[in-house]
Amino acid sequence: MSSIRVNPYPLPDLLLALENLQKQQSTATLELATSSKINQPSDDPAGAARMVQVDDKSSEIDSYQTSIGSINGQLSMADSALSSVVTVLQRAISLGVEGANGTLSDSDRSAIASELRGIQSQLVSLANTSYQGQYLFAGTAATQPFVADSQAPSGVQYQGNGGANSVTIGEGYRVQLNQPGSQIFNGTGNDVFQAIQDLITSMNSNSGISAAVTEVSNAYNYVTSQRALYGNAMNQVTSQQTLLSTEKVNLGQEENTVSGADTATVASQLASEQTATNATLEAMAKLPQTSLFDYLR
Amino acid sequence: MSNLLASLSVAVGALGAEQGALDATTNNVANVNTPGYSRQQPILAESEPVVIGNITYGTGVTLEKLQSLRDPILQLRIGEETQQQGQLNALVSGMQQVQVQFTSSSGDIGAEISNFFTSLAQLSTDPGNLSLRQGVLTAGQNMATSFNNVANNLTAQQSNLNLEVVQDVQQINVLTGQIAGLNQQISQMEGVNQDASALVDQRDVLIGQLSGLIDVSTIQSDNGVTLTTSNGVPLVVGGQSFALSTQTDASGMEEISSEGSDITSQINSGDLAGVIEVRDDKIPTILTSLDTLAANLETNLNAANATGFTLVQQSDGTLEQGGNLFVTPPASGRGAASTMALAISDASLIAASSDPTGSDSNGNLAVLSAVHDQAIANGQTPTDYYSNIVFGVGNDVSNGSAQLSASQLILNQLQDQRGAISGVSLDEEAANMVSYQRAFDAAAQMVTTINDLLYTVISMGTLTG
Repeated sequence: MSSIRVNPYPLPDLLLALENLQKQQSTATLELATSSKINQPSDDPAGAARMVQVDDKSSEIDSYQTSIGSINGQLSMADSALSSVVTVLQRAISLGVEGANGTLSDSDRSAIASELRGIQSQLVSLANTSYQGQYLFAGTAATQPFVADSQAPSGVQYQGNGGANSVTIGEGYRVQLNQPGSQIFNGTGNDVFQAIQDLITSMNSNSGISAAVTEVSNAYNYVTSQRALYGNAMNQVTSQQTLLSTEKVNLGQEENTVSGADTATVASQLASEQTATNATLEAMAKLPQTSLFDYLR
Repeated sequence: MSNLLASLSVAVGALGAEQGALDATTNNVANVNTPGYSRQQPILAESEPVVIGNITYGTGVTLEKLQSLRDPILQLRIGEETQQQGQLNALVSGMQQVQVQFTSSSGDIGAEISNFFTSLAQLSTDPGNLSLRQGVLTAGQNMATSFNNVANNLTAQQSNLNLEVVQDVQQINVLTGQIAGLNQQISQMEGVNQDASALVDQRDVLIGQLSGLIDVSTIQSDNGVTLTTSNGVPLVVGGQSFALSTQTDASGMEEISSEGSDITSQINSGDLAGVIEVRDDKIPTILTSLDTLAANLETNLNAANATGFTLVQQSDGTLEQGGNLFVTPPASGRGAASTMALAISDASLIAASSDPTGSDSNGNLAVLSAVHDQAIANGQTPTDYYSNIVFGVGNDVSNGSAQLSASQLILNQLQDQRGAISGVSLDEEAANMVSYQRAFDAAAQMVTTINDLLYTVISMGTLTG
């Protein structure tokens, strides 16, 4: 026999083909179900490794966003406290200007002095503002920053420290969260409490009222300038929020590029694999079921 | 001329030969589904002619033998490819199990590392907040647990593979014993010129099974086949088999030895080679990487915590310096992943502050968070280092699977070729059956005719007598 004999059993070949098709189909089905083409590292080792980094980056951005959410409240609370301080100081200045008028009687001035004392305690309470149990102007100390102290020249003692906290709101981007109370309220030559104390004293003694008013107005200007930090921080945070949202979108796109399944392609692949499976099954069914034996009588 | 009785013997001889040929066909048809069966072909030859006077008379047909059709070289190739496939199969299925540990999920190591650093970031917005501090401890505990789980699961898988080694060796010993027995029977039969093809087929099947387990070199020799590993470790020599044995080494791993020498690292293919590769190479490498990552995370985070201050106030009113956040990893790093754990359970001991007077300071959290971006192992950040481990595992599975598919195709082609040579075709057998039957019928007719002729001759005697 010179012709090449063929393997009379094609079944194992067909079974292998069928097995491979079924594997491909289950992969495609999983891709469609999860709409991800990386369902285990071996699906795309480099892509899976990249996804570890992308996921980490994504949770980092989430954490920046969460941080921004929590410091936003703190910053605006501090800003509004300082805005009240500024308003109160304005009132003190106009009271001072009123008291400097020589036509006032002693009792008029003592009435003004008593209102100024009210302003003094209002300022202390504003300087002790807290947000969710955290004093906003204590530096990094956890103690109440300002307490009334008759021994102190200004009548108020600072018990916080000179520290400040910064919070990371982006890759290598830190925003300062607070200014220590001593810097805001006890500026050299611009001490808010000293200025008010001096104004009260001058009002009681009816001497040097104008000088004391100037002192208060200097303190007023100083506090206003300190307040800028909070305004700036809030602006930074707001623009960073926009940036982070964009970054998150970009990251989502990268994630999709790396691991997203191309559902249209996968679906058409699945369809052609199903066709191939059916064809193979049909071929198996049509394997000769008869042999020459059937035709012999 | 020749005599009628001689013709009768030619016809009777033909009946025998055709019946023998028909036997081969029957046997082929009967074994159509027997694995490893090689079809038999009757070898018919002319009988020695006789010369009477100057005429040469044929003396009919002889059935010389029934030959089994097989290609020993092809059989060797099938064996080699089976070994390759056995190894790849074990490697891929082992690494697929490993891969499960590194498949991205909410609790995997990568996610838990991210979560830990997220918890630090959250604490930095309100460093005195005890529930946020507790959040850091919980995230630290989860990170440690994820390392523990993966390391323990890998170690458990190693022990399972260890059992598989023992089972493989037992199976190998059974097979080599059977092959040695067959070798003996075959050489005995062939010694007295008997056809041992049925036993040879059986032996081929057993060698095929053995090839799935270990690398086998086959050498045909006078006393049957000699089987060794590719490194020359004897498995079967003639009628004798050499059993492999296992003993537990210091680290609890089963080592394989033959005739007293350790051959564990010398097994190059078959299931055993794949199992040993995953047990002794792949898993230990991954465990070492995890240990390195865990140990460096612990060491760096501890160092960072020690530069800051806790919430605990000392007698002079200042805050206490931070201590270890995680337990100190073993000096060698070995086992760091499986033993990773928090060193503290009191959340106030997290050294968030960088100021001994500032319990609301978050300055040191920046130092702790910086570990996230530090090159702590192999010049890589924790996440990058981990992503490399994931890459390695995925790559092993994907390369192994590709090789396995290729090997499967090759093996199938070889089996096709084997089938083309040795497989039974029912059509062919039917055609053979018809021709042998016709020949048998014809020979039988010849006997009848010669019988008639003989009767005629005998009657001639009666008439004259």
